[in-house]
Amino acid sequence: MANYFNTLPLREQLAELGKCRFMHLDEFDEGVDALRGKKMVIIGCGAQGLNQGLNLRDSGLDVSYALREQAIAQQRQSWKNAIENGFTVGTYEELLPTADVVLNLTPDKQHTNVVNTIMPMMKHGSCLSYSHGFNIVEEGMQVRDDITVIMVAPKCPGSEVRAEYVRGFGVPTLIAVHEANDPNGQGLALAKAYAVGTGGHKAGVLMSSFIAEVKSDLMGEQTILCGMLQTGSLLCFDKMMGEGIDPGYASKLIQYGWETITEALKYGGVTNMMDRLSNPAKIRAFELAEEMKDIMRPLYWKHQDDIMTGTFSKTMMADWANDDAELLGWRADTAETAFEKTPASDTEISEQEYFDNGILMVAMVKAGVELAFETMTSAGIIAESAYYESLHETPLIANTVARKKLYEMNATISDTAEYGCYLYNHACVPLLGDFMKGMRSDVIGKGLDVADNAVDNARLIDVNDAIRSHPVEAIGGVLRGHMADMKRIV
Amino acid sequence: MICLDALSVDFDERFQLHDINWTIQPGEHWLIAGANGSGKSALAAVLASEGTYLAGTLSGVPDRVALVSYERQAELIEAERRKDDADIVDVISEGTSVAAIIDADCCDPDLAQTLIDTLGLRPLMGRAFRKLSTGETRKVMLIRALSSQPDVLVLDEPFDGLDHNSMAWLQDHLSALAEVLPMVIVLNRFDECPDFITHIAYVDNGRLLHRVDRDNERAFAELYQLLHLKTSGLEIPAADPTARLPALDPDAPLVRLRGATVRYSDNTVLEDLDWTIEVNQSWQLSGPNGSGKTCLLSLITGDHPQCYVNDIMAFGFQRGTGESIWQIKQFIGYVSTALQWEYRVGTGLRNVIISGFYDSIGLYTKSTDTQKAIADEWLALLGMSARADEPFNTLSFGDQRLVLIARAMVKHPPLLILDEPCLGLDDMNRQLVLALVERICLHSETTVLYVNHREQDRVPGIDNHLTLTE
Ligand SMILES: NC(=O)c1ccc[n+]([C@@H]2O[C@H](COP(=O)([O-])OP(=O)(O)OC[C@H]3O[C@@H](n4cnc5c(N)ncnc54)[C@H](OP(=O)(O)O)[C@@H]3O)[C@@H](O)[C@H]2O)c1
Repeated sequence: MANYFNTLPLREQLAELGKCRFMHLDEFDEGVDALRGKKMVIIGCGAQGLNQGLNLRDSGLDVSYALREQAIAQQRQSWKNAIENGFTVGTYEELLPTADVVLNLTPDKQHTNVVNTIMPMMKHGSCLSYSHGFNIVEEGMQVRDDITVIMVAPKCPGSEVRAEYVRGFGVPTLIAVHEANDPNGQGLALAKAYAVGTGGHKAGVLMSSFIAEVKSDLMGEQTILCGMLQTGSLLCFDKMMGEGIDPGYASKLIQYGWETITEALKYGGVTNMMDRLSNPAKIRAFELAEEMKDIMRPLYWKHQDDIMTGTFSKTMMADWANDDAELLGWRADTAETAFEKTPASDTEISEQEYFDNGILMVAMVKAGVELAFETMTSAGIIAESAYYESLHETPLIANTVARKKLYEMNATISDTAEYGCYLYNHACVPLLGDFMKGMRSDVIGKGLDVADNAVDNARLIDVNDAIRSHPVEAIGGVLRGHMADMKRIV
Repeated sequence: MICLDALSVDFDERFQLHDINWTIQPGEHWLIAGANGSGKSALAAVLASEGTYLAGTLSGVPDRVALVSYERQAELIEAERRKDDADIVDVISEGTSVAAIIDADCCDPDLAQTLIDTLGLRPLMGRAFRKLSTGETRKVMLIRALSSQPDVLVLDEPFDGLDHNSMAWLQDHLSALAEVLPMVIVLNRFDECPDFITHIAYVDNGRLLHRVDRDNERAFAELYQLLHLKTSGLEIPAADPTARLPALDPDAPLVRLRGATVRYSDNTVLEDLDWTIEVNQSWQLSGPNGSGKTCLLSLITGDHPQCYVNDIMAFGFQRGTGESIWQIKQFIGYVSTALQWEYRVGTGLRNVIISGFYDSIGLYTKSTDTQKAIADEWLALLGMSARADEPFNTLSFGDQRLVLIARAMVKHPPLLILDEPCLGLDDMNRQLVLALVERICLHSETTVLYVNHREQDRVPGIDNHLTLTE
């Protein structure tokens, strides 16, 4: 199969990449009507499969699970998930021929295999849905002409998808229709109803394309979201060890620091995160971030280029074919790092202290967010998409580090993200080597050693201007504004 | 030191105080608080040797206890009236003059004269006592008590019926007296509590339930709230008139479970249970921990995923036939400890209550002015008006529970489920919650499903019981 993106002419590539529109709540007035009474069959009952299914059923829809034979025969976890939650479970043969909508929620790596197996059993005129477009875009999966192909991708781990629904809300969701497979023009209506069924419409839905979703999702997760947090954790920890900081303290500052710092990001963007620092610390973090951006820019470009050309997916698929040798090796290496092996101490660290003693971490987040955003938009990805795949998701990933460090982060994200994260980390650690040599505990571990917080007025004004006028802040302001209308009133 | 030890007292077989344990140390000034009919006046009267002791002891009461109360006032008036009747001569007696009444017990004539002027009684001195108005009689009683050089002063609602100036003067005077004289004051309105009061005794149903040191700010605030709930005349706020729930068939049960069973691969939590909840048929559900109470409830609320494989009819929907969970939840108000754990949001109290209109945790929709107004009425009922914008997660555990009960009731649901509403609460907060629940049960048309692991803890007004066993 050929890479689908690469088969398109440039003009269409750009048009697809540029697709992304924030939908308004009143566009969902029809609720789940388009799916009411239709038979929805989910393949796979893992993180997304189970939780999306619970939500869809609670929204009044008819949901059952088709699992592969081994899973049923061995009563595997996926089978238990479905049975204990009171769902009907059956084999492909039993459930697929009568299904109106088939939700493919198996791991991306399995998609080619799974879709090829199920396609012949699917009813004429039915619908196949994905929660990630890798299979269609990067592997060029060809789906039968009569089948409608859509994507409904919650921008959160499965557990959040359920938890937010139960609260009466939802998680931001991206929907798309595969242009090549929309025979009756029903794709959008089905995707919208599906997003309503999972509660996504309450938190905000982005109307996008398979291509924009894949190319921006891959870029975000490899660089700022997972890669930068992994590289930053390892570098900052080793530096603090070199500077004689207590290992337990250093471990804690990093493990919970990302979460605390990016919480400020979530509420008020890079500007607010930087504003949490004292003026001298802010100027320092700004300068460090500028320096890191210059160093890392070629790396971000390379990641985006490899994603666009399909080099990245080819490399990863080669590893799939090689029984994940690289992935598993890197995963084992990560578990052996000093940061991962040093437990956090129970020293009290106040919320503000995470900023004051983590200036370098703040600078890394700023550099990573801005670079990822700049790189994506310059590659033709529209600002809305780029915002969600960079700034918006950073706090969500930081939460996973807070739970159980890098292990938890890598266990929660997809294999694809994990693979990309290691690739980034391997390039970025040496790249920042010289830069890190110049760092001291004043920017990571202890906080600035200054007599007072005096700064030069003109310099502060310049720095504030530069932070506030970055394009990620402009689109962030608009989108957070939209979201505030629908978001929980905090 | 005055000491009441396991004291039970009968008042003319009309009212009894039970098992009162109370010590008044030198230097302490007590306020007795409680709802009407709670027994706070009776407790004050005990200090002035009234009532018949049934059990226990009272010791350390000094000789001269001055008591001002409506009962004393009524007795004196009654005595004056009897004097009249006893007079069989045909000259109509004017009765005892005010001056003579004041003189009778007076040990400090100078003070008495000052008081007469201050309280504006001078023109009435020659009048017959029984011709005075209630307010005037009350002033006379105060003068008698204050000028009798008592060892203890017991005042039951001393500020009632006094005009503004007299009240201000009396408060100042009492503050000065507090330096030298122990005082016990009964007040209905907590906000009139004088500054010199050091302790508060809370009486309910003939029992002394709380003794609170005023320096304990938290306990003081909780007691304030309890009194507010018990004594304020506020009603349970009405439902939102603009938001009508879909009509229910009045003859159909609210909920009907047939053969309810919940099973996991390794254990069975519920087996073959039939249960029908009719309209206006309140239930108490009991059973030890682990007997499946919460599981049973979650089948009703739709939170349990196995509700889809059970035969459940809820609010007119056969579960699993295309209804959404929100169509079920709209008919239910729900409070539990688990909900409280879930509700970890920093949302303000008003919004927490409004979220009850949407059955959501947190508020995701712009609320209407009507909803805000109703939420504010609830806050007023809870005595939390000034705290409408405080973040929910900074509230004490007990206050959170109260707010969540208001949230559950705000839409006047046909079914209110209270899953162990007192669990984890201290005694004071338990009473706060029960006071609120009692008001709800009395007032509304909501069917209550009250869950309690102890079967013995029965709630008045709930006559149907279902007990689960392990
Ligand atoms: N995780 C996220 O945060 C996230 C967010 C948005 C979208 N997504 C997307 O959601 C989809 C599912 O991801 P997930 O994280 O939910 O995966 P997951 O938790 O790993 O679950 C995958 C499920 O598929 C089954 N499965 C595995 N191999 C299979 C095969 N060859 N044939 C049939 N079934 C197979 C597994 O059950 P058995 O092995 O027992 O059969 C398992 O229940 C992916 O496309 C992913 O990109 C994920």
